[in-house]
Amino acid sequence: MAAPTFLFGKKRTNVAKLLGVGTTATVFALSVIIVVLFQYGSTGFQFTDTASWASSFGLNYVVGIDGISLPLLIIATFLCLLAALGSRDMISLREPEYYALFLLFETGIIGVFTSLNLILFYVFWEVVLIPMFFFIGIWGGPRRKYASLKFLIFTYAGSAIMLFGFVALYAWTGSTGSPSFDYTTLITRAASLTLPLQVAASLATFVGFAVKLPIFPLHTWLPDAHVEAPAPVSVLLAGLLLKMGGYGLIRYNLLLFPAADKLLWPAFTAIGLITMVYGASVAFVAQDLKRMIALTSVNHMGYVLLGTFTLTSVGVSAAVFQMFAHGLAVGMLFLMSGYIHEHAGTRNINELKGLRGKMPTTTVLLILGSMAAMAVPGFANFISEYQVIQGALSVAYLYGLAILAAALTVGYFLWMLRRVVMTPPAGPKNELRTGPLLILTAFLVPLLVFGVYPSPLLGSAIKPTVDHVLSVLFPGGR
Amino acid sequence: MSLAVFGLLVTPAGLIRRGKSGIGVGAYAGLAGIVIALVSTIWLGFNGGPPILFGGFQIDLFTYFFAGVLLLVSLFVAISSFDFMKGDPNTAPYFGLLLLSTLGMIVLAASMDLILLYVGWELMSVPTYALTAIRKKDPNSNEAAMKFFVLSALSSALIVYAISLTFGVTGSTNLQTIAGSLATITPDTRSFALIAIVLFVAGFGVKMAVVPFHMWIPDAFEGAPTTVSALLASGAKMAGFAAAFRVFIVGFSTINVDWYSTFAIVAIATMTLGNVAALMQKSFTRLLAYSSIAQAGYVLIALATPFTVTTVTREPLGLAGGLFHVLNYSIVKTGAFVAAAAVATRLPVNTLDSFTGLGRRMPQTAFNITIFFLALAGVPPLNGFFSKVMIFTGAVYSPFSWGGYLAVAALINSGFSMSYYGWIIKRMYFDDPGDSSKIPEPKAYTSVMWIATALVFIIGIYPDPWIRLVLSVAGSL
Repeated sequence: MAAPTFLFGKKRTNVAKLLGVGTTATVFALSVIIVVLFQYGSTGFQFTDTASWASSFGLNYVVGIDGISLPLLIIATFLCLLAALGSRDMISLREPEYYALFLLFETGIIGVFTSLNLILFYVFWEVVLIPMFFFIGIWGGPRRKYASLKFLIFTYAGSAIMLFGFVALYAWTGSTGSPSFDYTTLITRAASLTLPLQVAASLATFVGFAVKLPIFPLHTWLPDAHVEAPAPVSVLLAGLLLKMGGYGLIRYNLLLFPAADKLLWPAFTAIGLITMVYGASVAFVAQDLKRMIALTSVNHMGYVLLGTFTLTSVGVSAAVFQMFAHGLAVGMLFLMSGYIHEHAGTRNINELKGLRGKMPTTTVLLILGSMAAMAVPGFANFISEYQVIQGALSVAYLYGLAILAAALTVGYFLWMLRRVVMTPPAGPKNELRTGPLLILTAFLVPLLVFGVYPSPLLGSAIKPTVDHVLSVLFPGGR
Repeated sequence: MSLAVFGLLVTPAGLIRRGKSGIGVGAYAGLAGIVIALVSTIWLGFNGGPPILFGGFQIDLFTYFFAGVLLLVSLFVAISSFDFMKGDPNTAPYFGLLLLSTLGMIVLAASMDLILLYVGWELMSVPTYALTAIRKKDPNSNEAAMKFFVLSALSSALIVYAISLTFGVTGSTNLQTIAGSLATITPDTRSFALIAIVLFVAGFGVKMAVVPFHMWIPDAFEGAPTTVSALLASGAKMAGFAAAFRVFIVGFSTINVDWYSTFAIVAIATMTLGNVAALMQKSFTRLLAYSSIAQAGYVLIALATPFTVTTVTREPLGLAGGLFHVLNYSIVKTGAFVAAAAVATRLPVNTLDSFTGLGRRMPQTAFNITIFFLALAGVPPLNGFFSKVMIFTGAVYSPFSWGGYLAVAALINSGFSMSYYGWIIKRMYFDDPGDSSKIPEPKAYTSVMWIATALVFIIGIYPDPWIRLVLSVAGSL
């Protein structure tokens, strides 16, 4: 596992584009090898790699993946590759710096999904943040300065509070053995903490992850950042950066603090539900295509929060799968919004009239992408959202309200399509070239494959792991 | 043995006094003195030495650690001064005073006796007054020197009074003897010891830039020649911390008085005021000044919660974190002030407007400032992150029930501080300058900045040896 993480030097040459795409492709190939070699059905961490780093302070380089991180790892390398390909068309300013930061970002995101030491995790977590700040600030849209600073301050403040949770965990579990930041050590120790300490640490980490996820009302950085970021960066933001929050919630919040989970889950699920409905309602009124897609992320990440804190195997597995599916769907829509903006000259939903006449193939892809985001059966999103609601209903019938959010999602997507597609065409035909169309189609392949046949990922990788960790966490059932 | 180190420092200082041949001889001699002293400090640091002057000097790992840090700061200041003082008639005295002040700081860090401590304090302070005022024609420089002098003299007076009270209570000026007598203190003398503690806090606090003794800092840093500000912000301040560590951790650790929570309150006030005020500054040096006040707050946490107590061991985790932060802070802050000096000599106005679009105008300087700021904000994997984590962990881990709240306050501050650091980075890279012509960046500054940046990364990416070092330094105290 160390290989993909450390493969990146920062490369700054004239052939930056080639190196950027080449490296991301190599890393994707490596992650495919991992997917092939992964022992499906086994529940522990695999491909672990350990190195002494700052052992005098309990910091070691420990990485490994299990069924929960595997889908996120694949999607990370896959989206990075596609975003790098997309960047070739959309980024023309200071390219060496861009691709250097891009690879730094990829290093960070892979590190986040694989590290098994709390401080190592935090290091990678922040490594992701800094390139993103520059991506938005240098290559962003008209309000990039405001958006980048807002993004930086929100997420940095969130992670500072999260760090308190980690540090406190180190100190509070120190009495039962030599203190450690090691995840596998802490997972057994943290469960024995008293309830108030668990709740305090859980809330602290929750704030950090919730800002990234994001939840209502900590989401306000998101529409600005997504709208101002260049399209390939929006892919990374929505496809991967938000998943860091979801992954953290499952890996740390859920699995480290069982007693706190049992106390706090109603609050967390309620927040999830509110986020879902809020995101969907706000997306209705968005005029900018990109802003609308950004707000669907708020909407969809609410499912992750809801699913995770149902504390049921169905719900948690579905939350992981939702991150996978949503990353692909929203990544595709963002990249498409970038292409549409370039070709049609606007992203305003009301002005993008008659897209089917101007860009017929793109329109088909837009409809397919929207269908994925609407969770139409046949797409992976359907399975994940259906199971989240199923898990939630098994806990309390009240969560049937989640259906409302799903209905709203369909509503605003269809309304957007009606305005963009079903209007009389204005302007001449201006179709995308084959390259971009292929990139966009690449997103659809896994969505459809896993939508029809999810079991290789959901059934044999995610589910066994989740079943196992939950049975350890709550031996007597939830 | 370490007197040899001091000797090496003084000799070139004397030489310079005599040879007034412009930037040439004096400056190079001064630089050579610092380098020799630094090399011998590092070399001797692995050997240690006996107490000197009847136990007045304690030449332990702590001394070597601080000597190393202070000499490094001094070296950075000296190198960058080659350009900053170019054409100034007072170059030779400038370097002489720089060395004398550094010597004072090292004496301060080495002293185990309160009288010697005071000698070191004055030896450090007096040259800095002159250094602050070295631009005789510049009214800002003079005003800064006056403010600095008055407050600093007051702090010296407070320290002398504290020393005499301590002597009255314990009958000794040796810190280890003091610790012994304070363990068995009677209630009637206890109140005098309390007053002594308060006076020590106030006296050291002036140099450490601790709220509410911080008022001189922004004015002095802004008015003084920028390289001198670097010396004040990193060197003098860290020497103040060295004295505080010695006096409180060694001398007053046995007294049954809760001075820990005092430091905790002062730490919170210092961090918060520093960070909030930094956000409102219009001048870069003032912003650096307030950010240095905020950073002092983090080190104060180490004074408030120096030890962790588990069932088996008592480990100086917080203290080690504080020392680590002293090292990291010194490197980064000196680098940042040198960068400020580079900008100040090339651009006429000292407002933040000069920094608009600096990423294009002075790419090296801007890049290095970015790294320094990220390190100050505590972004991993840069050096400042690890020392902060150690300090915060030490706070949560401490035996005090308020340790957790202290850590939360510090972390919120740390998160908040990103707003002004990010704001400057935004200015340098995202804003368009009206005039985007390139500005030359002299090697004297860039070399220092790159060395500092290299250290930031070296310490940050592989902190293990450094963490081991500060843990043993903290253990030696």
